[in-house]
Parts: sequence; C-alpha cells; structure tokens
Amino acid sequence: MTVPPGDTATRSRRCHGILAVRGLLDFPYWHELVLVMLLAALMLWARWQAPDFVTWETQLDLSTHIWELALMCLPMTLIIITAGIDLSVGSIMALSAVILGTAYLRWDVPIGLAAVLALLTGAAAGALNGVFVAWVRVHPLIVTLATLAAYYGTAVGISHGMPLSNYPESFRLIGGGSLCGLPIAGLLCAAAALFSAVVLSQTAFGQALYAIGHNETAVRFSGISVARIKLLLYTCSGLAAGLSALLFVGRRNTANTDIGTGISLDVITAVVLGGTSIFGGRGRILGTLLGIALIHETREFVSWHWSKAELNLIVIGALLIVSVLLNSLLSARRRLREY
Amino acid sequence: MTQYSVFSTRYLLLLAILAGCGGERAGGPAGSAKATGAGVQAQKRITVALLPKRKGVPYFTSCAEGAQEAAKELGDVELIYDGPTDGSATASADMIDRWVQKKVDVIAVSPNNPDVLAAAMKKARDKGLHVISWDADARPETREFFVNQATAQNIGCALVDTMAKDIGGEGEVAILSATAAAANQNEWMKYMKERLAEKYSKVQLIDTKYPGEDQNEALKLAQGFISDRPSLKGIFGISSMAFPAAAKAVRDAGRSGKIMVTGLSTPNDMKEFVKDGTVKSVILWNTRDLGYLTVYAAHALAKGELKAGDKTLQAGRLGEKTISGDNILLGDILVFTKENIDKFDF
Amino acid sequence: MSTPPLPPAAALAPPLWQRLNRREFWVLALLAATVAAVSAKNPGFCQLSNIRNMLVNAAPTTIVACGLTLVIVTGEIDISVGSLMGFLAAVLGATSSSVHMGWPAAYSVVLVLALGMAVGCLNGLLVTLGRVPSIVVTLGMMMALLGVTKLFLSGYDDSIDVSKCAPALRWLDRGAVLSIPAAVCIALAVIAGSAFLVYMLPLGRRIYAVGSNPRAAFLAGLSQQRIKLFVFTLTGLLVGLATLVRVPQLAKVESSIGQGLELLVVTCVVVGGTSISGGKGTLCGSVLAVLLLSSIGSVLLFLRLSESATYWEQAIQGAFILAAVLADHLARRRHGQEEGA
Repeated sequence: MTVPPGDTATRSRRCHGILAVRGLLDFPYWHELVLVMLLAALMLWARWQAPDFVTWETQLDLSTHIWELALMCLPMTLIIITAGIDLSVGSIMALSAVILGTAYLRWDVPIGLAAVLALLTGAAAGALNGVFVAWVRVHPLIVTLATLAAYYGTAVGISHGMPLSNYPESFRLIGGGSLCGLPIAGLLCAAAALFSAVVLSQTAFGQALYAIGHNETAVRFSGISVARIKLLLYTCSGLAAGLSALLFVGRRNTANTDIGTGISLDVITAVVLGGTSIFGGRGRILGTLLGIALIHETREFVSWHWSKAELNLIVIGALLIVSVLLNSLLSARRRLREY
Repeated sequence: MTQYSVFSTRYLLLLAILAGCGGERAGGPAGSAKATGAGVQAQKRITVALLPKRKGVPYFTSCAEGAQEAAKELGDVELIYDGPTDGSATASADMIDRWVQKKVDVIAVSPNNPDVLAAAMKKARDKGLHVISWDADARPETREFFVNQATAQNIGCALVDTMAKDIGGEGEVAILSATAAAANQNEWMKYMKERLAEKYSKVQLIDTKYPGEDQNEALKLAQGFISDRPSLKGIFGISSMAFPAAAKAVRDAGRSGKIMVTGLSTPNDMKEFVKDGTVKSVILWNTRDLGYLTVYAAHALAKGELKAGDKTLQAGRLGEKTISGDNILLGDILVFTKENIDKFDF
Repeated sequence: MSTPPLPPAAALAPPLWQRLNRREFWVLALLAATVAAVSAKNPGFCQLSNIRNMLVNAAPTTIVACGLTLVIVTGEIDISVGSLMGFLAAVLGATSSSVHMGWPAAYSVVLVLALGMAVGCLNGLLVTLGRVPSIVVTLGMMMALLGVTKLFLSGYDDSIDVSKCAPALRWLDRGAVLSIPAAVCIALAVIAGSAFLVYMLPLGRRIYAVGSNPRAAFLAGLSQQRIKLFVFTLTGLLVGLATLVRVPQLAKVESSIGQGLELLVVTCVVVGGTSISGGKGTLCGSVLAVLLLSSIGSVLLFLRLSESATYWEQAIQGAFILAAVLADHLARRRHGQEEGA
C-alpha cells in the first residue's frame, strides 16, 4: 500500500476525514484522558450511590490495599515498554516474605538484617530472570512462567506452607505507619513513581528503553548494551517485589506463601490498562498510575456497593479489553503503519 | 515527532483535572454526614457482615442460607455475605477493612488464615465494631466470641474413629488434604495422628498429599494411591475437593467397599457415593444451623444482650445454646450414613 | 547459461545426528527415561491401570494443546482456555443435570461446543479486527469468564453433581473403544484431525506462514485475519471438546475446574518445541510434552519421596521447565539459530 504524500498532519487529514482536526490525532495523552474521565465518572457515581465511599478517610484507609501493587507496577511498566514481561513478581514477593520470616523467626537474625536479606533475595531472583532473558535470550514469557513456579515452590519448600507471624512494632511501622497523616508506604510509592517518571521521560536511559521496544536489533547495533539494560530492569522488578513483600508483612504482620498469588496478572492488567503497549515502545508512568487508580477504585467500589466479589473479575476483565480496544481504535498512527 | 516536556501545558491540564477529583473527595465528609442523617429510620437496622473462608463453595453457601433464615426471622438484621472467591486471606483482610469504613455493626469472620486477618480484625475492634469468629477460630484477642461447631480435636477424632470402624481396626490409610498451608486441615491432621497413635496402633498412615483446591489433582493423586498401594484400606478426603474425588477414584477402580473413603463434606455432594456403598460415613455438622446461630449471636451482641461471661444464648429455633468460656457451642458432629442422608438437603 | 549439476539428494540431507537433534526426540527420550527410572524404583508405575489413568487424565490437556499449538504458531497466545473450560463445565452441568435443566445429552453437547466456538471467535475478532494484543484480550477474557462462571454457579449452590448429569455423558468417562478408553480415543482423533489439518491441507502451511513471516505472508496474498480467526475459533471448539471429556471424569462441577490449565498447556507447547514468537513448532512435540509434564505428579507420587519432599514439588516442576528451555536454547545456539527476542 503506498503511503500518501505529505507530513503526518496532512496525511491524517486526507485519510481520516472528520476526525482529522489538525493535531487532534497527534494528542499523545488520549489514553490518559480516557482513564481520567472513567475515574471521574466512577467517583461521581460512587458519590451519588454511596457517599461514605468518597470520603478522604475511607479512601486513605482503603488505599493501603494498593501500595504493594503500585510499587511493582513501576518496573513492570519499564519492562513492558521494552517488549518484555515478568510474570514471576508475585512469586518473588512470596519468596522474599518467606525469607524475611524464616530469617527473623527461625534463624534469629535481627529484623533489619532480615529485611535486607529479603530485599537481596528479591533482587537475586529478578537478576536470575534477567540473566535468562538478556544473555541466554529466552523469551521473557517463558522464563518468568518457569520462575513463577520455581520461586513459589521454593517458598513453599522453605516455609512448609506455614505462615510466619509476629514482627516487631518498629518494623510494622514501615508497612502500616503514617507520616503527617499520609501512609509511609504511599509516600514511598509516590517517590518511586516520580523517580521512574523522570528516568523514563528525561534521561537517555529512558529513551533507550523506548528504542529497545521499537527495534531491539537496531539498538544493539548502535552500541548500547541491551543485555545490561534488561538485566537491570528485571533486577529492579525483583527488588520492587521484595520491597512490596516488606510492606505487606509490615502491614499484615504475617508472611506466607499465598501473598503474591495472582498479583502478577493484576500488575500487568494495571500497566496495560494504563496505555502501555504490550508490544513495547509505548507507555507512561502517568498512565500506569491512572490504571492502578482505576482498578483499585473499581474493585473497592464494586465490593463496597454490591458485596459480590465475582463482579470484580467481570468488571476488570471487561475494563481491560474495552480500554485497550478504544486505544487501538483511536490510535491513528498505528493504522498508518499497517500493511 | 515533537517532544512533550513534563511541564507542557497539556500535562498541567491533566494534573488540574486530577486535583479537581481530589477536591471532590475532600468535599465528601459534609455530604456524607447529611446522607447518613437522612438515612436513620425509626428502627435501627443491625448490619452483620458474614465472611466465609471462601465464597462459592457449597459448605459456606449452606451456612449463608441458615444465616439468611435467621436474618429474616429476626427482622432488623441486614446481612452482608461476601468473601474471597479464591480463598485468599489478603482479600478477606481487605474486605474487613472495607466493612470497618462502612461502619457495619458486627463482622463475623471465618478466618482462612488467622494470622493474616489478625491485624484487620484488631483494627475493627479498635474502631468499636463487634467481631466474632465462626466455623474456624481466629486469635483470641481479635474476637469477642467464637461460634464453634466442633473442636478440631472432635473432628480429628471423629474422622479417625469412623475410618477405623469402617476398615475393621487395621490397615493402611492415606490422607488427601487441601493445600500445605491450610490451617484447618493441618490442625485436624495433628489430632488425627495423635488419635491414631493413641488408640489405633494397627492402623498405619502411609502418605499425605496436597492436591490444593484442584479436584482433578485430587483425582490423580487418589488414583495414584490406589495403583501404587495395593494394600491400601482407606483414604481420608479432608477437603471439599478431595473427598468426592477420592470416592470417585475408588469407585472407578472398582474397589468400592474394599477401600473405605471418609472425610468432611456436605451431604449433597456425597449422596450418590453413600447410596452406592463407596462411602459409609460422611462427617460434618449442620451448616445451616451454624450460620443461623452465628447471626443470632451477632444480633444479640450488637443489641447488648450478649456479654462476656454469659453462660447461655437464646438462639431462635435452636433453643438455648451453651457458652463455654468464649465459645458458643453449636452442638455435636453429625455423621451422615445411608440411613439418614436423605433427610438433609445442603 | 547452465547451472552446475546438483549433488545426489542423499548428500544434501543433514547427518543423522543432526536430524535426531530435534526437540521432539529430546522430549521423547526424557519421557522414556523418566518412565524407566520410576518403574525401576517402583514397578507399580507401569501397571496397566496406572498408565490408563495417566493417559485418560492427560487427554483433555492434549486436546487443548493441539489448538493452542496452532495459536502460538501464528504468533498469538490464548490464556483464557482454563476459564473457558470452567465456564463450559458449568453450562454442561447446569443443562444436562437431571436436577436442573435436564436436557438430553446431545443438546448439551452441541451447546457447549457452540459456546466454545463463540468465545474463541470473539477472542479472534478482538485480536484481528480490534487489533488488541492477544495476551490482553485473553487476559481480560480469562478474568471475565471466571467471574461469570462463579456468578452462574452461585445460582446452583456452587456445585453440580456430575452423577446426576445425562447418563450418555458417562460413556465419555467409562466407555471404551477396542478397550482404549473413550477419552483417549477422542484425544487421538483430535491429534489425527489436527495433523491432517497441518500436514495435508494448505491451511496448515498458511498457518505456519503467517506465524513465521507475517509480511511475506501478506505479500503472498494470505489473509492474516482469517487465519488467526480460524485458529482461535478452533481452540475454543477444542476447549469445548476437552470439557466434555473432563467433566464426566470428575465428581462435581464447580468453578475451579480448568484453573491453571492455560499455564500448563502453554508450558507444554513451549517445552514441546513451539517458538513463542511463532512460525515454528510441531503437534508431536506438544503432545509428547503434555505426556511428560502431566506425568510429573504421578512420578513424584510413585517415587515415594519423604513428607517434606512434597513441599518442593512445585519448585521441581519450575526448575524442570527452566532446564528444558535452557537445554533447548543452548542446543539452538550451537547451530547458530536464535530464539525469541
């Protein structure tokens, strides 16, 4: 198919008639705008149906459910931008939690050192993923599918399935405490999100990630060490999972193997909902944050108002498909590239 | 392709929209106070939140039916029945948090993991809600009463005694549990092993396997037991997935009556196997009564009629129930056999 | 202009060891080695009844694996198969149970197969026309179907007794043709049908073409959309068939039927040699991998490991998959091919 002559804007006008208001299709924040509108609509409706839900106090309390997920979504966004994926974050979270509990409760390691051990476990697990993806060059889906089972199994093996509970008050403050009325875990996430956003949009490293997602071979040939970048990303993902484990254990005062079950898919859902393309090359931290917020509010409100846990699954599944469908239909640029 | 800097006007526009949403929330408290004020009726309704270990399992669904019956009888109870569809303790804890924010009157918890729920339950109590446990106990300091159908010891002993009777006092047995981390099952197994050691030295426990919540896995493992151990005399299926699967495996292998299967299950799930002789006894208790009693206890607690130190509780059609310490006792274990299983429909 | 004479055909063929160094042979060898090792330790493993049980149990997974191999060969993926099986099982139970709707078996069967195809078709349409990445579509579908199944079953008290379902369905569990269990017969029929599709019909070649080089396939005039729609619909149909085989094997229909199936099948397909980026893979490899991975549970049982060993089962499975993929990768690297990214 021949490409019509002219620059992007002109081509838009020629190919898309009514919709080709100059520059409209070039608005890069379409997806985020849709998410914001959905979120606003949901909160307004919630305000009308159940005013107690939309209070600052309620929202603050319920927000504690989401910090672990949010923390893991940040490196996941970066990984998916490079056209990778990491299904094993939930299992790494479980493994780190089990190591924390076992070290503190069974091996009598001081809590600070145990926490560091847990973080190192997470990082090491992520690094193993990274080695397989970056150097052995196995497809990330396969590697993380295998490590999902391997790490979870290791966690069960170490803990024998038993929960490990009771941690010192000082440690619990990190996961559950507040600073000036705002949860510490939330502040941690906000800082991490800001850092990730800056790295992704303002640094050369961030640009390299987008480039890898678009055309990895070209980036390889341009002298950038793709393997090292991928290793770093997967290690960060593991580290984030370890940190999430610490937050969770601090909040709930117990560590067991069920902690991360199923959370990997929630993370990927939030990231994809936020506009990051699963094929790589596109995505923003802002989008991911909005995706997390939308999923969180939807889940909390559905549970709050209808008390039917089954509805959650249907709503989020539908939300995911519809949002990506909308995004793909609105995404003119992709159409121009199709053959 | 032009670069959009972090500080571009469009980005700021989005931030403004978000801030507006935040403002919406901040305006909430005044609005909500008005709403609840308008919502107060002549007769205050007591909200009871019933949390099962896992939603969507016949055992708990039948408990919920009993609970709904009690709510209807009492008249001023609003019953919320919700729970994690995947049995996740984290989801249960999150639900408790939500109910605390919603300010329900009583939360009745059947904890799938007492440790994970402890923090949330304690927070609920700190905020002034009544918290009781039912079906399985939570940590004593996190709940006011425990509606107990049978102690883990009773259950473990009943399982072993029934099996020993069915297989004639000697032979090899195996256990199919749920997951390795299932607290209830692990406790029952502890008492089962104690009972075996203490009373039935000729009955030998040769293996324990964990099929999780997967019926197919339970079937595979049961088939494996039957093939691998020709001298196997009995299989314990101590979860709602393992028991029917074990019975089916035994029947399919043609060993009904030669390998005895027993365990815990609702009578409806096992009716067919009991009728054709594969299973002689099914152990459980009246789950409808359990749910019924729980709602009555919650109601009494909320109304102030039930206090710590009470010795009895009036529970509608169940009559007077004994309270031992902080355990409200439902009664005894029921054993369903060919003779009486048709009388029950749950 | 004359071309130099070609050497005789025999000299062009790769040496025997290179021909044998294919994934399928490795999987077969590993399967044989495992069976031999376990049988040596515990002869009960190769009893006829045990082999029969393992094959019957692996039948539904094999049926789904045939469909999913083709989906992955075209470069897509379908992780909604497990939830679809749960949903179809619920429909089958509700329609054929004498306590509920009591339809004759034939009607239930047709409904289940039709629904399976419909969902598969929907997945396909969203992927081709909606241009939504298949992993996203099937992830969303997986969640939605799970929720729908749970809601649906809650209206039937969460479990439906299989024994009350139409007796004709029992044949799928107990029946046998020439003393081969019905489930295995159906699986063999599906394998044969898929093999016919792939090796005899032009459609098979087109599926591989679309997966290995989409651009070239387009230039050659193939409709990527129609082919992908076909493989998704086929997978939906096969999931329906697998449900018909699986449900009579169980004692009750509840919402967790099929959960985890997608993980198992994708693992089997990949271990069996199918490349996740598409274009490469055989049915034979997938089937052998299903047999291998399905037997792990039994293997660990018959090995009579200590109590604490059972806790490490899942870790062993994961490590095993990792080793299999690593081995394959190193083998390919030695021959200068590269997989994936």
